[in-house]
Amino acid sequence: MSGIGAVVYRDWRQRITNVGFVFWDLFVPIAYLALFGIGFDRAVASSFMVDGQRLEYTAYLLPGVIAMTAFSVAMNTAWGFFMDKDSGIFYELLTYPITRRQLLIGKVCFNLLLSAVGALLAVALGVFAMHIQIRWKFLPLTALVIMATTAGWFFLLSIFAIRVQRMDAFNTVTSAAYIFLMFLSSLFYPLAGLPQWFQWTARINPMTWQVDMLRFSLLGAGAPAMVLAEAAAFVVFTLVCLALAIRALDRAA
Amino acid sequence: MNAIEVDNLHKVYEPSNVAPKRAVDGLSFVVPAGSVFGLLGPNGAGKTTLVKILTTITPPTSGQARVAEHDVAREPIEVRRRIAVVLQQTAVESLLSVEDNLLIYAYLHGVGRGEARRRLRAVVEEFELGEQLRETVYDLSIGTKRRVQVAKIFMVDSPIIFMDEATTGMDPFMKRRVMDRIRSEARGGKTIFLTTQVLSEAEQLCDTILIIDRGRALASGTLEDLRRLSEQMFRVNLSFAELNESVIGRLRSLDPVELQVNGKSVEMLFRGTETSLLGELADIARGISITQFEIRGADLEEIFMALVKEKP
Repeated sequence: MSGIGAVVYRDWRQRITNVGFVFWDLFVPIAYLALFGIGFDRAVASSFMVDGQRLEYTAYLLPGVIAMTAFSVAMNTAWGFFMDKDSGIFYELLTYPITRRQLLIGKVCFNLLLSAVGALLAVALGVFAMHIQIRWKFLPLTALVIMATTAGWFFLLSIFAIRVQRMDAFNTVTSAAYIFLMFLSSLFYPLAGLPQWFQWTARINPMTWQVDMLRFSLLGAGAPAMVLAEAAAFVVFTLVCLALAIRALDRAA
Repeated sequence: MNAIEVDNLHKVYEPSNVAPKRAVDGLSFVVPAGSVFGLLGPNGAGKTTLVKILTTITPPTSGQARVAEHDVAREPIEVRRRIAVVLQQTAVESLLSVEDNLLIYAYLHGVGRGEARRRLRAVVEEFELGEQLRETVYDLSIGTKRRVQVAKIFMVDSPIIFMDEATTGMDPFMKRRVMDRIRSEARGGKTIFLTTQVLSEAEQLCDTILIIDRGRALASGTLEDLRRLSEQMFRVNLSFAELNESVIGRLRSLDPVELQVNGKSVEMLFRGTETSLLGELADIARGISITQFEIRGADLEEIFMALVKEKP
């Protein structure tokens, strides 16, 4: 088994043997779509306009749920670094015949697989149970966006997981990030009509870029020029986070 | 041939807002292949930092260290392919079963599935882990976790094994078994690098020993070399008919390395020649009756303690 393969297998065994991870990785985002999506759709917002296109709220929320899945998976995998430090295995891992980059790549590969499974479940629920119309021919593009953005989140969260020494500090940082990234973005509601400061903050939030990309590829909603600019920004964000994660891992000792 | 070569090695930690700390300060030594090497030192002596450098976890600040003929800083992967490491801290995959812990360790060291399964059976039998094989490690006792940690290194066939206080927390029976296994591995040509604070363990296992403190070497050599140091060091037990401050004062004037008073008995660790010591004691005995007298050469623990205490 190759070094990267062994890292993927290790993460797979850790996840599959612990129901708690499966709950947070896969069930929580789908529950958002099934419960919050339907509830909000029927009670408050039966439809939204996104760049002139009318969408049911469940359809509007589906890309956001996929983005949440990517973020949750990335957060749990990054938390694995923390668990490794806590159990002492992290330093032992650094003596194994794999490079630190292989360790990072193995973890991100597993991340991408799990995120793709989570997205598939959300899409299946949306399409078959909620009758959301998606652009099937753009599904490969959607898969690409999911993978690229999951990697970006994982690299970002890994920087904290590797550098922060205390679990309470890590949990505080990630929980705060989760709240601000989700609610200060276009994940739950369109930005048009919100206060200017909110719109500007949301426009520099990578979660908005991710959700807008997914909304465009899945539903065809959004201005192509804006989505393209957001995609470019997310690529830069991912590369910067990758560089910082590698640096943090190289310095870990 | 040497398995490990260390030349003028330094490691300085420079945390922000705190003065730099020299954890390793100019160490040089070699470990011959196929031997058991013991690294001794008190807490904070620099043992774990040295192990971290030799196992490529952290780079040295300066100097050179070669393990299995590969430079630890420049060729870390080549070094890692030739070592198995038991760190001081309990290092196990808490959320995985014992079986997964052992198999994944083997996979991460490039051992194939079939071979890993074959080794698993042997290791589980040797370390009596059959009953716990499917249990999550998180639920096991500290001693069993430690057993899993040590068992892992026998899932691979590395020529050099680092064990940083590996037997800590083990029951005496398992400790004995691990020590026997270490001896057997060394007889089979493997090199064992052992750090311990249990000096009897070092005496029983090690061919060569290095004693360090504050990152510097205090003494090194074979067990015989170190015992020669004890030729000038004696453990003396004395019982007096009456023991007063004046006698204790006279004993203190002999400048013992260590002096303990228990009722009418005194225990001293004394550095010097046997003749001069006996002369001094005979002089004291003229004034007060010594009811019991015992003298013997110092053991490794006493030499170790004396060296650590005497170093400024």
